[in-house]
Amino acid sequence: MGELKEIKPLHVNPLKLSQPMGATLAFLGIKNCMPLMHGAQGCASFTKVLFTRHFNDPIAIQTTAVNDITAVIDGGEYSISVAIENITQKVSPDLVGLFTTGLTETKGDDIKGASLLLKDKQKIVYVHTPDFEGGLESGWALSVQGIIEQLIEPSLTCNKDKVLLIPNVNLSAIEVEKIKESLELFDFEVYALPDLSDSLDGHLGVKQGALSSGGISVEAIKKLGDTGLVITVGRSVKKCGELFKEKNTQSTHLHFDSLVGLQACDDFYAKLLTCKGWSKPPSSIQRWRKRLQDILLDTHFVLGKAKVIIADEPDNAYAMAKALREVGADVKAVLAQKSELQDAFTCNVSVGDFEDVEEALPACDMLISNFHAERLAHTYYKALLFRGFPNYEQVGVGLRHNVLYEGSCAFLCEVNNLLVHH
Amino acid sequence: MHKVFRWRCKALWNTLCNSPFMINKKLIKDLLNESACSHNKDKKSSCDKPKPGATSGGCAYEGAQISLFPYADAVHLVHGPDTCLGASWETRATLTSWEGENNTPLGYCTNVTTNDIIFGGDKKLAESIAYIVERKKPKAVFVYETCVTAMIGDNIDFTCKEAGKRFGIPIVPVHAPGFVGGKNLGSRLAGEAVLDALVGTREPESIHPYGINLIGDYNVTGDMWQYVPILERIGIKVVATLSGDGRIEQIQQAHTAKLNVIVCAKSLITLCRKMQERYAIPYVSVSFYGKRDTSNAIRSIVNAFGNEAMMQKAEVIIAEEEAKLEARLLPYRELLKDKKAILNTGGNKSWSIASALQDIGIEVVATSIRKATEEDIAIAREYVPILMKVPANEQAKLIDEHNIDILLAGGRSLYTALKKRVAFVDVNQEKKVSYGAYGGLENLAIDVCAALANPVFKLAGKEAPWEN
Repeated sequence: MGELKEIKPLHVNPLKLSQPMGATLAFLGIKNCMPLMHGAQGCASFTKVLFTRHFNDPIAIQTTAVNDITAVIDGGEYSISVAIENITQKVSPDLVGLFTTGLTETKGDDIKGASLLLKDKQKIVYVHTPDFEGGLESGWALSVQGIIEQLIEPSLTCNKDKVLLIPNVNLSAIEVEKIKESLELFDFEVYALPDLSDSLDGHLGVKQGALSSGGISVEAIKKLGDTGLVITVGRSVKKCGELFKEKNTQSTHLHFDSLVGLQACDDFYAKLLTCKGWSKPPSSIQRWRKRLQDILLDTHFVLGKAKVIIADEPDNAYAMAKALREVGADVKAVLAQKSELQDAFTCNVSVGDFEDVEEALPACDMLISNFHAERLAHTYYKALLFRGFPNYEQVGVGLRHNVLYEGSCAFLCEVNNLLVHH
Repeated sequence: MHKVFRWRCKALWNTLCNSPFMINKKLIKDLLNESACSHNKDKKSSCDKPKPGATSGGCAYEGAQISLFPYADAVHLVHGPDTCLGASWETRATLTSWEGENNTPLGYCTNVTTNDIIFGGDKKLAESIAYIVERKKPKAVFVYETCVTAMIGDNIDFTCKEAGKRFGIPIVPVHAPGFVGGKNLGSRLAGEAVLDALVGTREPESIHPYGINLIGDYNVTGDMWQYVPILERIGIKVVATLSGDGRIEQIQQAHTAKLNVIVCAKSLITLCRKMQERYAIPYVSVSFYGKRDTSNAIRSIVNAFGNEAMMQKAEVIIAEEEAKLEARLLPYRELLKDKKAILNTGGNKSWSIASALQDIGIEVVATSIRKATEEDIAIAREYVPILMKVPANEQAKLIDEHNIDILLAGGRSLYTALKKRVAFVDVNQEKKVSYGAYGGLENLAIDVCAALANPVFKLAGKEAPWEN
């Protein structure tokens, strides 16, 4: 249900975040990893500052610090090899996640070649993530694809009790943890790739390390080849699941565009039950479903009459829009980047910036978006729910839980209460 | 292949014409070898190229953004992919009193995509400028070149010139793409852009005999508003600023000021030197951090005019302000008596915060000089007995040896504070209130007292019942 609009030559108050930023987060979900951004120093610096303020935690990242000279005479090998040398002098990463930026893609650097030259010195996964294409979600997804292709060893055996969960970039640390726990209730051995649930979940460590503070280990990734069931959550990572099939043709791939709301969660658990050959899920899940049913009815009075505008990454906007539509809310979605998912929305949807949001806002009751929405919500006296990157205003963003039956309850209640108290 | 071929042709052509991109290499070299910087007497170039894999800190584009975004009556258009601006807009707490739409926290970006990289982004830039001027009616538009648009060889100067003619307002190209260097260099390049395109392009109705330009204060959290009213009471008028609470029309008249005042910033010293050469405006460098420095700053500005009556008036006002501040600090002085601190931060903060801490009665035992310039180290030596070269290794030991009460540092040092069970203030974090001048000193005292009184630093690092 996309609409045709006159194309603006520029972005006014951009909503979009870049591909290299998505790649950064993906590599932070791997243990002892150093994300290495191949570009000018500012690209990495802006990314570090944004995520540090968003997560209120230290962010490991380095840069190849391309300058105006190496931009012309170097094809990437020099700055990348010097960067690896300087990094390994101080720390010993299990993995370096090497990804490009607009600058180095314009130049057309051969990062594959550069990685191969260094393969005896340092394990590297390389990804092309120019920031003049795609956005946060695609940067994350491309990195996961790179990790699958370059790290996972193909396998002929298939362990049907082993699950690989591939979350999209929008899922919080706790949401990843909750999905893993839920899968464990089905007697699965669960791995998440990337796994932010013990890296950017805001835990207090003993000291500030220079590398990622947790996540799935490189050893575990290598051995993922025998995984029997791959679960992808969010359209942006669907391709990652399909790609895994090349590593193990016997594996099963289950894809879910969303895990928020009754229908999405029903679909999730129905497929798991089929997989397992069980007739019923564990009792705690049954109990939470009944609570969600009750919440749907409790919140429909307010939400059924609410006009909500969501400005976020496609996967997250879709999940929230779908859940809010279940209780009758009138939703409009403005997406940060193009997505295959646009056709699946059952509400008004377009790709845009905050200027577009501002145009539509007067007719709405509530705005769901990142920190930049605050000024707008304040100007137009609208209720505001912070979601997406960045969120500089609130603490505990890694602890938010809005998926599965339990999280859906929390989400609907929060939206309802914000509207009532506004 | 297309795009690679296209830019390589362009780059080759430009190389033949002596400059790889539209960047002025000679200007950059001159800026890096600024004769007014003391360290350049014994070192060849002050700002070395960043080391791959061992670099932190922002790029030249960010420096330019920091320097110019506070002009709230101008639109700041970033010509590049979304990243440069997408991750950085609305992040700086620079305040303005401009009554029109405040453009500082807004983000304008040409969002260069693959197509533009192949066919060039000039057309998009021209259309974007038109879009902005027609809808927003700004006093000027700054156009920021970025790495990608520098690489593809967009003719930004020409596009800006044409747009300037068409719309009759200054359209100022800022050539500080990220890859030419760090934030400091970017600030310098931004200063050059302002000097060339704006300063001296408008004549005022009257010239104030005691007019000054404030250079390098961006009015973060309203710092400037702590001391500008005091200067006005003495009889000094701020003609223009670069760029805190700044206005385009004022900076166009900046050549009519009698004195340039550099506030706590080394990066714009070239601009001041050039204004001295072109317009015979002398400059003084001051800091408004802490009581003593604020009083001395006021004195330096007043003395530069050499007016005896004004000097006397200044002394009276300084005495008044200091007395008022002392009265307000009294309740905190009791709490802060005999407290010892270690300071671990960079640049001029290594001494300016130390001085402010001493003004509220704290003994500063050590400060870090790891990221300080020669001048900063020389000044820090006058304020603090111990200068730490490798604070990460030294500070934990010093906390024990000197029985330190509070550590003021960047987030990385929090773990040291927790381990040593001492109070902690993150001085590198985006501050929420002003620490500037007399009024700001009270804010600093409040924050330090709150940290000292907070039990969390002893509690958060506590071992779990099942540990040890």
